[in-house]
Amino acid sequence: MESKYQYLTFIGLRFNVANCLSILVTALLVFLFTFLLSRKLTVKPGKGQNVLEYLIDFTNGIVKSIMPGDEGKPFYFYIFVLFTFILFANILGLFFQVRVNGFTFTKSPTADPMVTMPLAMITLLMSHYFSVQKFGFKGYLHNFASPVSFLLPVNLIEEFTNFLTLSLRLYGNIYAGEVLIGLLIMVANSMGVVSVVLAAPMTMIWQGFSVFIGAIQAYVFSILSCVYFSRKLEREE
Amino acid sequence: MMNGSVIAAIDVASLGDSLFLLVVFILLLLLVKHFAWGPVTKMMDDRAKKINADLDGAETSRAQAEKMAAQRQSELKNSKSEAIQIVNTAKVNGEKRRQVILDAAQSDAESVKTKAREDAQQARTEALNSARNDVAQISVDIAEKLIGKELSVSDQKDLIDAYIKGLTSADETR
Repeated sequence: MESKYQYLTFIGLRFNVANCLSILVTALLVFLFTFLLSRKLTVKPGKGQNVLEYLIDFTNGIVKSIMPGDEGKPFYFYIFVLFTFILFANILGLFFQVRVNGFTFTKSPTADPMVTMPLAMITLLMSHYFSVQKFGFKGYLHNFASPVSFLLPVNLIEEFTNFLTLSLRLYGNIYAGEVLIGLLIMVANSMGVVSVVLAAPMTMIWQGFSVFIGAIQAYVFSILSCVYFSRKLEREE
Repeated sequence: MMNGSVIAAIDVASLGDSLFLLVVFILLLLLVKHFAWGPVTKMMDDRAKKINADLDGAETSRAQAEKMAAQRQSELKNSKSEAIQIVNTAKVNGEKRRQVILDAAQSDAESVKTKAREDAQQARTEALNSARNDVAQISVDIAEKLIGKELSVSDQKDLIDAYIKGLTSADETR
């Protein structure tokens, strides 16, 4: 199944309307989710506060599992928002696809490399920033040539592979999920009632599995971000 | 076909999306930090602090309670021994007082007895003396009557006394 998108051009930049809309919807959902759950805060937490605190504890746990102690504190908040945002983005496309005149208007924003790449870029830039902050610019540069100087090219290439693997892993998983759902819908439409009966349970199973994949990918993205942070903060000999 | 669609997706990739995501994501970070993360983590910290404080408070109050219990126990022991002491001193005091009263009664009785004895002695000597005088008078009177002649008591007194002495001594020997 081919998805068609509408494009807008603004100051020489091309915008995919579907991506922009779904990014906006995801961000709104994340904000509403955290905003509504954090009303009426009390020392003895109510239902909503408990859910939010559980999520915060979970994402803090991701950071703590990589960086136990105080060095992980600056990342708690970033990992929390990152995890929630990617989770919501991954799941959004599974049940919320709006199509008008053959043009798709909402989907999983993470099913596009142009969306996952800036996410990975934020993570990696943050890791470089904190590395400079901790070791100074000299120490930061020195870290590229450690433990031995001839590893410098490998370390430089690693920065790019980190960026590519981090962004393309997320994109590939979610995009594949969307493609498969599209194919299953094509199967359902191909031969009338018979194929609908056949395809419906398969679609349901795949959607359930996609929720699982979406959660796993959000978790993997968060934990790998933490790994990159910690590696940038540790490698000093 | 799959391969083709992937390449197509990259072909039509739009840089605007990346920029849009950056802006929206950073905005989302700011908003969530201000409206949700800040208050919630502050509340969680407050709770952790409160729980710590409560635990510390419970520990100190428990230690205090134990101290007070021990103090009460020792006070109870003290009061027991004190009570025993009080009873003992009361006993001793009672004994002393009894002795004093007894002694006083004994000496009283002794003095009463001696006084009575002295009185009796005195009464006896007085009676004896008056009887002696009476006998002298009577015997002089009788002698006057018999002799018809007046005898002076003083003249005869020595004689009579000697006589009476003989009488009393005879009386005593008898």
